[in-house]
Amino acid sequence: MTTAPTLKAGPRTVRGRSGARVPGGLAAPAVAFLVVFAAYPLVYLIGLAFTQSTLAQPLQRWTGFDNFRSALESQSFTGSLWRSVLFAVLAAAVQLVLGTALALLLRARARRPGLLGTLLLLPLVTPPVMVGVAWKLLLAPVGGALNGVLHVLGLPGVNPLGGATSAFITLVVIDSWQWTPFVMLLTYAALLGVPDELREAAALDGAGRRRTARSVVLPYIEPTLLSVLLLKLVIGFKVFDIVYVVTAGGPGFSTTTSTYDIQRTALQEFDVGAAAAGTVVFSLLIGLVTAVVALRRKRHEEVAV
Amino acid sequence: MTTAELELSPSVTDTPPRAPEPGLARARRRGMRHHRAGLTVLLAVIVLLTAVPVLYVVTLSIRSRDDVLNGGLLPSHPFWQNWPDAFRAVDLGRYLVNSWTVAAGSVVLTLLIAVPGAYFTARAGRRGARLASLVLSSYCAPPVVAILPLFFLLRNLGLNNTLTGLALVDGLANVPVAIWLLDGFIRKVPREIEEAAWLDGLGTWTSLRRIVLPLISPGVAAAALICFFLSYNEFLFALSFAQDSGSQTLPVVLSLFQGDKNVEFGQQAVVSLAGIVPVYVLAVAAQRWLVAGLSSGAVK
Repeated sequence: MTTAPTLKAGPRTVRGRSGARVPGGLAAPAVAFLVVFAAYPLVYLIGLAFTQSTLAQPLQRWTGFDNFRSALESQSFTGSLWRSVLFAVLAAAVQLVLGTALALLLRARARRPGLLGTLLLLPLVTPPVMVGVAWKLLLAPVGGALNGVLHVLGLPGVNPLGGATSAFITLVVIDSWQWTPFVMLLTYAALLGVPDELREAAALDGAGRRRTARSVVLPYIEPTLLSVLLLKLVIGFKVFDIVYVVTAGGPGFSTTTSTYDIQRTALQEFDVGAAAAGTVVFSLLIGLVTAVVALRRKRHEEVAV
Repeated sequence: MTTAELELSPSVTDTPPRAPEPGLARARRRGMRHHRAGLTVLLAVIVLLTAVPVLYVVTLSIRSRDDVLNGGLLPSHPFWQNWPDAFRAVDLGRYLVNSWTVAAGSVVLTLLIAVPGAYFTARAGRRGARLASLVLSSYCAPPVVAILPLFFLLRNLGLNNTLTGLALVDGLANVPVAIWLLDGFIRKVPREIEEAAWLDGLGTWTSLRRIVLPLISPGVAAAALICFFLSYNEFLFALSFAQDSGSQTLPVVLSLFQGDKNVEFGQQAVVSLAGIVPVYVLAVAAQRWLVAGLSSGAVK
């Protein structure tokens, strides 16, 4: 697939068919990557999903759809699918709004992000496990800063990680703390691409602030926003670290996302078959959700071109 | 577009737009300056609010257990003992070295694959586009897909619970990100430069190495930096494939250390900071590459 028929272009046909000159050998390492990291896991995973396996001895015998049945019957797994989608969508939405707002502020201030911009980026580079621990300490019922503040104000203490809904929302908040800067930076970069002349022209034509934002700036950055949304959905589906550290999927199963559930099933409960079958189902679901956004983005691109 | 500009814009349109009165221009500039200062203050406040969780960890790291449990937000008196205690409870030095080794090793592998790969995606026309879409769709699959297959692969190679194994996995995992970033930088190199090199008789490989690589070195630095952070911060693979002290990374150790009943807030804080401070220093020191790298993806 990589070394499609290559024309041997001599020096005189440098301007010949685009890309014909680039040797396929350059793609070889990337193809090897695809084989080891995409093709092999996929095939092997499907194998595991349809067979009986243990960590000690994988692929013992064919079991048909048994693994899928036990995955879908598992109390935690089916619910986790829904929670993963909810988490990814909610987190992406919150972060897109906050990130764009911050980008607009940053852009209104200057054409360079500067030190303030870098400081705003720091949550993004913080190791997620450390993020989880920091927030857990912050929210601790005893000794946490939140309850410290409430106590000083004479208010009753709270435990956001104690309830099902509040724990889920807390995870979205923590994830947004970490990822909003990412949206901010990408949107900021897109805002830099809006030509000043366009804004000035709009202002001279009497367009107000809102009007300029809607009719001049938004169309310019919309492709970026859609890409960021797609990227954020994909990243949101991967959430694992903060779930593991902050709530361990609880209380009950209220914050058990699919990645967390699958990892636990595979490497803590050692139910390899069910975990593999669950992974297949989860991947199909992600494919479905991202395809919806990707299609929309593609249509957008076609219209733009 | 600033408020000051817009408030003034009706009068600007009354007079010839290109040459506003000098006084007006001055007022406008002053208005913008105030406006800018206001935004700076607002953003500084946001930075400060964002920093609260980490700042709280900093204060915890110098508070004694009793002090924390008695409530209050700031240390009543600094308690430095947490630091030596934490280093005694957890072999921090060793795990830091593990983390850095894995991250550095993985970056080398990522770049070896991604630099030629990105050149191919950027320059090989339709074949390049096909490779790019394959690589990017592999990124959309959640990493948990790869856990079981890679677990068995690493074990067959005798590489589970080794730094090499983890670096290998992290290095591969970051390839799509690196190709995505580098692709943008390579596209910005004018084709004419390369074509001139080819006419001078340089092969594609040689011109890639001698002409293109130096031109995209800021991009390579950015990709290296971002992939370094990704590996250093990585948890799912580290937790699944590296389960002994010889290969565990700092996030894994912290996740175990913070356990269920651990009330040593101060020591947890110290271990967290040991992991956070180096990346913050690196991020601020290399902010130019970090920002350029992250935003290169957006303008495509």
